[in-house]
Amino acid sequence: MSETAPDVSGLVEYIAKAMVDAPDQVLVKQLEEGDATVLELEVAESDMGKVIGRQGRVVRAMRALLDAVSDRFDKQYELEILE
Amino acid sequence: MPITDKISAANKIHEFLNVVVNKGGLRLKYRITVDPPLPEERDWERPEILVEFAGPDSAALLARGGALLRALELLALEMLRLPGNEHEKICFDCRNQRSLRIEELRAAANVAAEKVRTSGTPYQFAPMSSRERRIVHLALREYTDLRTESQGEGLRRSVVLYPGNYKSSSPR
Repeated sequence: MSETAPDVSGLVEYIAKAMVDAPDQVLVKQLEEGDATVLELEVAESDMGKVIGRQGRVVRAMRALLDAVSDRFDKQYELEILE
Repeated sequence: MPITDKISAANKIHEFLNVVVNKGGLRLKYRITVDPPLPEERDWERPEILVEFAGPDSAALLARGGALLRALELLALEMLRLPGNEHEKICFDCRNQRSLRIEELRAAANVAAEKVRTSGTPYQFAPMSSRERRIVHLALREYTDLRTESQGEGLRRSVVLYPGNYKSSSPR
């Protein structure tokens, strides 16, 4: 089964930009670390709370979405928020 | 209080889900209904925007207690910047999971009520989201000899059911 790889950094970037007050300061870097693809998300300091959410709910939801994409494509996508 | 512009909110949800499908590669179909008809008179949840999913990857939405379904719902709510008390106006569902979960919570509430009546001691439910706690509180409202409280913080917050005359010794 050949399928195009998902655009996970585009996905994370879209979600982050929709959450924050300063979308132009959203940056997503995609790094390969062993078997995993790590997405490093950087946002304006004042927007940090928005992408993390109360008790980490937002970042957890983004990770749940990435877990589903990981399962679907048999890969490992991880999200890290740079502070 | 209704969502001020439901059509614009529905369009934003559509745009978000379109990105999830196209960039995330998940094989999901969805239908967004504004002001969906409700199957029955009910006071515990009256969504103004209903999103129903189908498609080959819809099983993934329901895995782990519907974690992905709730995650997508939460992300949509955050993007729309709806205040907490408006969150129940938007409901993401798949294969009737939401209704089944509500039935499950109401059944658990009834069982707990009988336990508290017989034992005379409080019963603590498992931690739940604010929306689920509200369903439990409402389901137990008809038991006028019992009372409910929410206890704990954040992700550990849960409903506790007391006999009506029970003196709470909780530190909170």
